[in-house]
Amino acid sequence: MYIKVDNISKHYKEVTAVNRLSFEVHQGEVFALLGPNGAGKSSLVRMLVGFTQADEGQITITVNGEQYTSIPASELGYLPEDRGLYLEKSLAQNLMYFATLRGVDKKVAKERIDYWLERFDLLERKNDQLKSLSKGNQQKVQLISAVLHQPQLVLLDEPFSGLDPVNQEKVVAFLKELKAQNMTVILSAHQMSMVEKLADRMLLMNHGQSVLYGTLADIQSQVGVGSALKVTFTHAVNVLEASTKLAQFEVEQLNDTTLAIRAERADQLNQLLAHLPELGDIAFIDSQRMDLHQLYLHAIEADQAVQKGEAA
Amino acid sequence: MSRLNQTITVAKWEFMQFFKWKQELIAKSIMLLLALGMYLWHNQVLYQPEPQKIVSNIELVELQLSDDFVLRSEAKSKEALVEAVKSGEIDGALVFKSETLPQQVTLYSQGIMSWQTDLQAQLNDYARSNAAASLNLGAEQLALLEQPLQFETNYLDEAVKDAMQQSSFTANGLLILMAVGVFMTFGQVFVAITGEKQQRVTEQLYSCMDAKTWIEGKIIGQMLHAIKAMTTTIFTALLGFAFVQVILKGQSLDLSIFDFSVLPWFILFVLVGIYMCTAFIAAIAAAIDDPNHSGKTAFMMIPLIPIIVGFMMMDSPSSLAVTVLSYFPLTAFVFMPMKMALIEVPFWQVVIAFVSSVIGCVLIRNMAARMFKMGMTMYGKEPDFKTMMKWAMSVRS
Repeated sequence: MYIKVDNISKHYKEVTAVNRLSFEVHQGEVFALLGPNGAGKSSLVRMLVGFTQADEGQITITVNGEQYTSIPASELGYLPEDRGLYLEKSLAQNLMYFATLRGVDKKVAKERIDYWLERFDLLERKNDQLKSLSKGNQQKVQLISAVLHQPQLVLLDEPFSGLDPVNQEKVVAFLKELKAQNMTVILSAHQMSMVEKLADRMLLMNHGQSVLYGTLADIQSQVGVGSALKVTFTHAVNVLEASTKLAQFEVEQLNDTTLAIRAERADQLNQLLAHLPELGDIAFIDSQRMDLHQLYLHAIEADQAVQKGEAA
Repeated sequence: MSRLNQTITVAKWEFMQFFKWKQELIAKSIMLLLALGMYLWHNQVLYQPEPQKIVSNIELVELQLSDDFVLRSEAKSKEALVEAVKSGEIDGALVFKSETLPQQVTLYSQGIMSWQTDLQAQLNDYARSNAAASLNLGAEQLALLEQPLQFETNYLDEAVKDAMQQSSFTANGLLILMAVGVFMTFGQVFVAITGEKQQRVTEQLYSCMDAKTWIEGKIIGQMLHAIKAMTTTIFTALLGFAFVQVILKGQSLDLSIFDFSVLPWFILFVLVGIYMCTAFIAAIAAAIDDPNHSGKTAFMMIPLIPIIVGFMMMDSPSSLAVTVLSYFPLTAFVFMPMKMALIEVPFWQVVIAFVSSVIGCVLIRNMAARMFKMGMTMYGKEPDFKTMMKWAMSVRS
């Protein structure tokens, strides 16, 4: 399984949902689609599934040497953003229906249903109506329905939404298990801590365009990894004085003796280190790495500023 | 998984969504019990009636009542006879006001009984015979008096079937059954599709199969429900008919008022017609976002129009309008079987009408699949009819 998205665009009347987007997804990796609401993630997902077609550009999906323009149904496990199952039917009936539609033998389907329900602590409720389950538990059943046929690619739109932290961790474990089975996982999510734990590579979108793309390390270097330092002095320091002396840097007081100092670019670090002694004796310096959440906010804010500048 | 297997899986799911084994078994058992009861009643296994004891206050010379009655004459007063009825000693008392013609008689009994009509008919025959005898009329003269004019209608159009009453019964029956089928699919498809949209299950299903496979399975599943409803209606109507004929009228079951010769063609036209109607209804239902506030629900009733027009035009089966409508792809499924029930139709005409219906069915199915695909993944707002027509006419499905 290999996905190549080449310069695709999708327009809805005057709105450009996806704008000249390119990326690749490789077999067995967890690929995250990130971006604020309205960034174009769901439009992209619907094109990958084949519900809509790109107005420009090309999607090429290679499965077992064959090429397709959208993911073949037999190799796709899909959890859409707008999702639900038959509330009046039992968990087992719902799951068996989807497994049968995907061509899974009934005996095999039954074994897999029991296995996954057990994993999600739902086996005892197998014959209960779906509507008797909480929203979170219903979501777990939906996740199971997407993987019963053991597809090569699982595409999950917001798999963590509506789940409590315990169940979010269960979903993380579930996705890790899929990855261990060499399934390719594409997920869109807003829970950056979860994505950080899971994703091999990611694409950050805003206004339908790619803002950041690559591994976490790639993205950290694109945004400016290591440009934030946590500096502890041997004496109390004043943040106003520090800000004046380090005018080209962003300074934040963490406690009486400690400051967080952030440079715009990684290549400014040497300049920062040269100016630090002006503030006094240093006890120790720690390099602060931006986590995905910070990277996300930083990149989106920067992109918004660029968009506003262009608009002006 | 092949498309055929997916279609069968969807059809089974759709059918079983509304099929409750327990309820079906109870309903069908009750119907069977009723039918069995009527059979036993008819064969007097359950009920062997005792002859009714009737007493008359005058001597009824040479009156021979059927075995259902035991008649004797007792010269008693009205009050005494009524008292005997009240006490249950006798079932009925006939009190004649005079012994000469024309006679006036009052029957006293506990309540309304089916034997009273029989008794009245037999007494009428007896009175007529007595009147004829007093006028010295023979049996032939009496018959002549009773039937002064024999009226017969002769149709120059040789295609008109001889037994018009039988034809009319059959044609009405066909249209009523069609209406039952369309109403059933209207209700079930509406609930099934708007339910799926509201439960947000559509995108998951689309990721498993294409729109044509899904709509085909859905149509077949709902068609099975319509056919089940139509079959149940037939049996219920037959049971009702049998109840009236066998139990109320005490006659044997006679189904000759129906023309069963059109049944095979009728089944074929029904299958094609209900398929077409279900596809149309599914396409409209897919565009409905909120069933409580949608203005499109009324449009789902459009398939009933040919049936209503069929009822209106039943009295002129040879007219140009019926001829045209019996070939038109979207109406042939109603008008051709109706016409076949009323007049003789050449085989080739039936075949043309059937082929026309099949073509109409395929066209509607394809257009419906396109509208269905777009409508089912559209949430939050409803498309206008212009947009829906654009979907229907689009090449890609």
